[in-house]
Amino acid sequence: MEIAYFLGCIMNNRYPGVEKATRKLFEALDIELKDMEGASCCPAPGVFGSFDEETWATIAARNLTLAEDIGADIMTECNGCFGSLFECNHMLKENEEKKAEINANLAEIGREFKGTVEVKHFAQILRDDVGFEKLASLIEKPLDLNVAVHYGCHFLKPTNTIGIEEQAENPSILDDLVEITGAKSIDYKDKMMCCGAGGGLRSRDLDVTTSFTKEKLDHMTEAGVDAIVNVCPFCHLQFDQGQTEVNERYGTDFAIPVFHLAQLYGLAMGLSAEELTFDAQKIDATPAIKKALGE
Amino acid sequence: MTIINRLKSLFTGENDKEEKGINNDVSNTSDDVQVTSSQIVNDDVVSGTKTTVPRDPVVKKKPEVDKKDLTFKSDIKPLEETANPEKIVEKVKEITVSVEETLEGAKELRIEVEKSAKVIDETPVEEETVEETSEDNVEEVKEDLNKKETKRDTMTLLTDKELLTDSNRDPDFTAEFIDAGIETVKHCFQCGTCSGSCPSGRRTPYKVRQIVRKCLLGLKEEVITDDALWMCTTCYTCQERCLRSVKIVEIIKKARNIAAHAGYMAKPHKMTGVFVMNTGHGVPINDATKALRTKIGLPEIPPTTHAYPEALAEVQKICKITGFDELIGYDEATGGLKE
Repeated sequence: MEIAYFLGCIMNNRYPGVEKATRKLFEALDIELKDMEGASCCPAPGVFGSFDEETWATIAARNLTLAEDIGADIMTECNGCFGSLFECNHMLKENEEKKAEINANLAEIGREFKGTVEVKHFAQILRDDVGFEKLASLIEKPLDLNVAVHYGCHFLKPTNTIGIEEQAENPSILDDLVEITGAKSIDYKDKMMCCGAGGGLRSRDLDVTTSFTKEKLDHMTEAGVDAIVNVCPFCHLQFDQGQTEVNERYGTDFAIPVFHLAQLYGLAMGLSAEELTFDAQKIDATPAIKKALGE
Repeated sequence: MTIINRLKSLFTGENDKEEKGINNDVSNTSDDVQVTSSQIVNDDVVSGTKTTVPRDPVVKKKPEVDKKDLTFKSDIKPLEETANPEKIVEKVKEITVSVEETLEGAKELRIEVEKSAKVIDETPVEEETVEETSEDNVEEVKEDLNKKETKRDTMTLLTDKELLTDSNRDPDFTAEFIDAGIETVKHCFQCGTCSGSCPSGRRTPYKVRQIVRKCLLGLKEEVITDDALWMCTTCYTCQERCLRSVKIVEIIKKARNIAAHAGYMAKPHKMTGVFVMNTGHGVPINDATKALRTKIGLPEIPPTTHAYPEALAEVQKICKITGFDELIGYDEATGGLKE
């Protein structure tokens, strides 16, 4: 099996441990990740999608054509990239008029959107294409960790077009994927709430974004978790860097380490904290990692 | 303008209310809710917008008090409970409910109330009068309505002070949504499930139900000049729960597109555009990450536009074809923004 691996921006340019863990995981799963050479930003839905739909769709469609050239479905580990690429792919497949409009733009750079690939989320591939059993066989030592799962927004919603879960407000895919590692998913208040970073809000008004994040951190703390697990580098950044911003603004002392699901699997497969670049994250993950590994 | 008036204007968008001579019923500002004007976001962020959004004005001092509490507080000064914001919010909720019960029968009185609003404002209103309101006690109904209007922001167009007529409507604006395939904008019956579900609405002046209504009515200027339009994180909770399957997030994004093309763009957003035009990435690589990538055995530069200049040239060309460069004011000579 081959997959066109879409990197995006924040994972590869800020949290490379997520990329490392993913490459190792898919190596172990015997799935070849093909690099989408020359891929760009998805582009950011909050800015490009909000400013100019045509530009947004053309840049997204250009990325889609890279996967079409490879002839493989796309995998992304970022909800924002997933949202942009899935939505654009869906729109151009459904709407001939739009497709013609965007293809006219792409023709000027010698490209054409054909609509021959699917856009899939990392977690979706793990559940649907790999399967829980195979994943479980990779776990070297079950992790002892209580985690707050954060789904994020553009992974499952809008339900009627994405369809990964029947009820996006009551999903189980990430909880199931987390629990395969031995970690326990702890329920918490308003679990499905947004981290606050999306839609261009983080760059425009950090105080409002921080207020979202604080609410989430309050509820996670009440539930008593050791770590946050997410499937979106932007949410990841918001919980990691954003947590320090919450502490600065509110005088709080939140210190909940942040794991991308790929990092959690990396840890369960025996990768070191350095390989997973936990040492470069703002919130110290050492206590959670020690607990998880029973050290 | 008192601080409370300023805060209030941020919620209602009626920042020129004082100048128009409309009394706000918020003159008895209590000392314990004072915030300094420096804590209000300055206007530099976005040029030409009508309202601004508070930058979390109270959290540093009192994290448990949110902005809405501030508005409520001044309204219910007579309750002698101003020291405890939570109790006040509870109390206000009770009052609001009882006001709503009387609202239906009182609608016809609205125009009269508008005319007499100023006079009534000067009359002290006890909370008990809200409970005792009846059809034959017109004066009290008027007072309640007036009190309600200043208390509950502008939850629907029904409470707007300004009389809107067909001359305020821009049918072309509504048509833009329909033409973009968002016909569901017409299906909204204003139930408010969206606003009730909205995490941003809990902490900012963003009222998604109102925006949907305004888009349908064609109130273009009201929609695109309001900063609150940009407080949506596009989390889709509203759209998931919408009983009428209105594509609410599509509406918001379309409204933002129209706003952006009318010049309402925040500089940080334009800068994200600049980063993409310069590097192909909204978040470009830096030296620290290059070192980190090398350390863990990944290529120093990821195989993206960062590694392929010809790919970057394609992205740049797209931005020129679509006019994105001009939209954000990209300066090719400096690789930054014009101005």
